[in-house]
Amino acid sequence: MYKYDRKGPKRGVSLYSYSAEYGFTKSLEECFEDMYDMGAHGLEILANSHIENYPYPTDEWVDKWFRLCDKYEIVPVEYGNWIDSHVLRDRDLTTEEAYKLLERDIRLAHRLGFTVMRTKMPVINEKLEPVLNWREIIKMALPLAEQLGIKMCPEIHIPTNLNGEMVKSYVDFIKETGTKNFGLNIDFGVFRTEFAPGEWKDPAFTPNKPEDLIPLIPYIYCCHAKFFNVDDNFRETTMDYAAIINTLADNGWDGYLLSEYEGADKYDPGYEVGQTLRKHHILMKNIIGD
Amino acid sequence: MEREVIQSVGFRNIKNGDEVTGFQFKVRLPYYRGVFLSQLRPGTLFVDGERIEKDDITWVIRGEEFTNEQMRENYQINWDITTPATLKVKKQGGLAQGWHTLKYGFSFSSSYMPPMMQSDDALDPDKEFFIFMPEFGHHVNERTMLIV
Repeated sequence: MYKYDRKGPKRGVSLYSYSAEYGFTKSLEECFEDMYDMGAHGLEILANSHIENYPYPTDEWVDKWFRLCDKYEIVPVEYGNWIDSHVLRDRDLTTEEAYKLLERDIRLAHRLGFTVMRTKMPVINEKLEPVLNWREIIKMALPLAEQLGIKMCPEIHIPTNLNGEMVKSYVDFIKETGTKNFGLNIDFGVFRTEFAPGEWKDPAFTPNKPEDLIPLIPYIYCCHAKFFNVDDNFRETTMDYAAIINTLADNGWDGYLLSEYEGADKYDPGYEVGQTLRKHHILMKNIIGD
Repeated sequence: MEREVIQSVGFRNIKNGDEVTGFQFKVRLPYYRGVFLSQLRPGTLFVDGERIEKDDITWVIRGEEFTNEQMRENYQINWDITTPATLKVKKQGGLAQGWHTLKYGFSFSSSYMPPMMQSDDALDPDKEFFIFMPEFGHHVNERTMLIV
């Protein structure tokens, strides 16, 4: 299996970015080749989107998966999964039922070579707080995650603040349990300082400073390198990208920065997200060096 | 696969021997991730303005045929984003040769969206969500196609 040995922040892509093109003008292999063009080695998939016959892929599909990873020098990094507690209309799943879904995803993530999971929690209110039994669900999964070398990470996404209560509750859980198999995925949207005139801005959002990352570094296993606008000089105009990446690098962080393009314009006819991702990778390569 | 939610390929009458018992058409999932069957909210079909109730339509996903009632409890089978589902509609004699306008609504739930966006009203498959998000598509889609 292909290995990329560089230490520190490394470049990768979340296939979520291709949502508007996947299945129409891009296959899994074409996304991989696009990443290869960019020299991006780290991969995030969304389990429910990119695994054929999810959650029960065939052995043939898994063989093809590893063949493509080798061919395009891809490291499976993050497996995007959802704890779908609200999947039924009339009641929530029990803790045991939710764990069963999570267990199946942990096993499948491991089977495909992933080491981190972006574990999306089911929410209960408009502040996007997770279900009350999230600790019980995760605790049930910790032994299997440890055995298979998987780190489950909720994504910290605006309007959540790195210094806020939700992050604190996750960090407290990590400290209480002493686990190395649950951590954080930081979405760089939390660092956004610039908005276009008239652009909607969540009133609950306050931007973080790059140094807010420092106390969290031991718990961050992956980042969503969110970006909004890379100009033609390959600069992100809405946040200080170099300061964010250098803060991670200077504090000994080792992991993947996964490009995630969330702009709704990717659904516009004729839009090609590959070019948008390439601009972002020129920007990151210029900061990281590879 | 076509970008339109209602696909032109797959639209035809269903024959049982010499008898035409209904018709079928295909829809793709206009979302960025697959959904379990219990997340689906099938709605009402209008064919040239004629109303067909959701319980008179079955869904074929991964080669298996499901009623609305069967899908409601099934969170084991996932409908993936790259394979359209086939919808089968019982209608003695099928549809006549020529143009037909199909208007069909369906929606799906999502565990990570806030409760106000997951109410029965917000997820009503027969009317549009209060804000259009390309990632979630439209609830109601319409297409005019030919039966040969």
